[in-house]
Amino acid sequence: MEGRIGDDSHLVDRLRQGDPRAFEDLVIAYQHRVFGVALRMLGSQAEAEDLAQEVFVRVHGAVAGFRGDAKLSTWLYTIASRLCLNRLASSDRRMIREGEETLTRLASSHASPAAELERSELEAALHRAIAELPEERRIVVVLRDLEGLSYEEIAAVLELELGTVRSRLHRARMDLREKLERFLP
Amino acid sequence: MTCHDARELFSVLVDEVLGADERGALDAHLETCADCRRELQRFRDTVGLLRAVEPARAPAGFVDRVLEAARPTPWPRRWLRALFLPWPLKLPIEAAAIVLVTVGVVYVFRATPELQRAARLESTKPAVTEAPRAAISEPSSPATPPDRARERQYMEKKIAATPPAARNEAEQRAAGLKDASRDVDKRQDIDKQKEASRPTPRTESQVAGKKVEAPPARAEREAGAAKESARLPAAPAPESRADALQAQRPATGSTAAKSLAPPDVSGGLAVSDRDAALRGLAQLLARLGGVENRRVDGHEGPIIELTIPREAYAEFAGELARLGRWQPTIEPAALPAQIRVVLRITR
Repeated sequence: MEGRIGDDSHLVDRLRQGDPRAFEDLVIAYQHRVFGVALRMLGSQAEAEDLAQEVFVRVHGAVAGFRGDAKLSTWLYTIASRLCLNRLASSDRRMIREGEETLTRLASSHASPAAELERSELEAALHRAIAELPEERRIVVVLRDLEGLSYEEIAAVLELELGTVRSRLHRARMDLREKLERFLP
Repeated sequence: MTCHDARELFSVLVDEVLGADERGALDAHLETCADCRRELQRFRDTVGLLRAVEPARAPAGFVDRVLEAARPTPWPRRWLRALFLPWPLKLPIEAAAIVLVTVGVVYVFRATPELQRAARLESTKPAVTEAPRAAISEPSSPATPPDRARERQYMEKKIAATPPAARNEAEQRAAGLKDASRDVDKRQDIDKQKEASRPTPRTESQVAGKKVEAPPARAEREAGAAKESARLPAAPAPESRADALQAQRPATGSTAAKSLAPPDVSGGLAVSDRDAALRGLAQLLARLGGVENRRVDGHEGPIIELTIPREAYAEFAGELARLGRWQPTIEPAALPAQIRVVLRITR
């Protein structure tokens, strides 16, 4: 899973040297992952795009000061996770994320109308179950099972103890197992 | 190890981050606990479902939108932001701009006489426009009786608000202005043209039910009055409403108002010997304290405008009857202190 991110050392060097094409390459390389985290966390395609754009704008403004202590991907996930949790914490956002429509939209965000009709009940139930998780558990399971980050990376991104990451991840999975009971073989 | 303890390790077991000691204990428990083995399998299936979720993809054009949003702000905008965004700077600058604009407007106004004159005209416009209209319309326009009554009421109100001394002063000033007399002549010419093209206006006596032949005499009288208007003596201080109305005409407008004002009394004096009648009239005026204001030669004979004191008017009218056949066309019951009389002397 971690191989999806790959070696960003060359890209980081170009970014720090002020290569004008480097930022574009960064956006191209990470757009889907950053957008994916935002979409799973916020549940709204438009809101996810807005947040993902904000992530990259912030990266653009701060990339010159990026020291390279952490992986570039970890840095990006850190910014994305914080922005997501901050937005979810706002009272306005709490009202938006409620309801079936949001979850359905999330589940069908990339499907054609025909494919959307054929979407399995399982898939819709999966997205609904993820969306219903408490935010602090949801971000951990998204980063681990959907984005493939290691426990250590998740701990770094969320600035949590490793034990806390293990605990929250396990609680999230147990919640999902109960919600998805009827879909299990 | 209990079933609870074993199930708490399912996540780390699935993720293969379980320590060797814990792994050994868990394996030992699972070998002996079918429920936990079944539960572990369901747990693995759940994680398998999650990891099978199709990765999300950013919408088309997302990269371009990000690059656009991240593009550096042009330096003029950065400069403007730096200058205006902090309110401690912005507010004083805006206040200074407002003060500068205000000072500039005042300076331009003071330095431009045309603007000041325009401002004065604007402020005095209603008083200037209304007075002449009221004064001019009375003798020449075919206004209906209700209109005349309203104008008269309006004039009376204005007179009541004007000190007599001011009215006399204004009247004298108006009478002495040559420019004003030229304006009067022009206006009178226009009025004469209007009079010629207009149907016969109704006089006050006609309104009251008397049938008179005023129009030709009236046109001549007004033509003469216009030419002589600048030389007319100042009206005496008003003693009644009618007097005040007479005095108000030149004071509120110009000498045109006076020249166009109708006489208090007018009429025809048919005589057999015109020269003798004129001599007799001159002697009569001298005796009664009257003054001949002007004389105009009409088609049928001379037209004379004169002023005579009210107390001498009865005797004046009686003497006129001796000089010839005196037929007044206008002779109201209420007369001013100084009565302006227009005589048409005919054979």
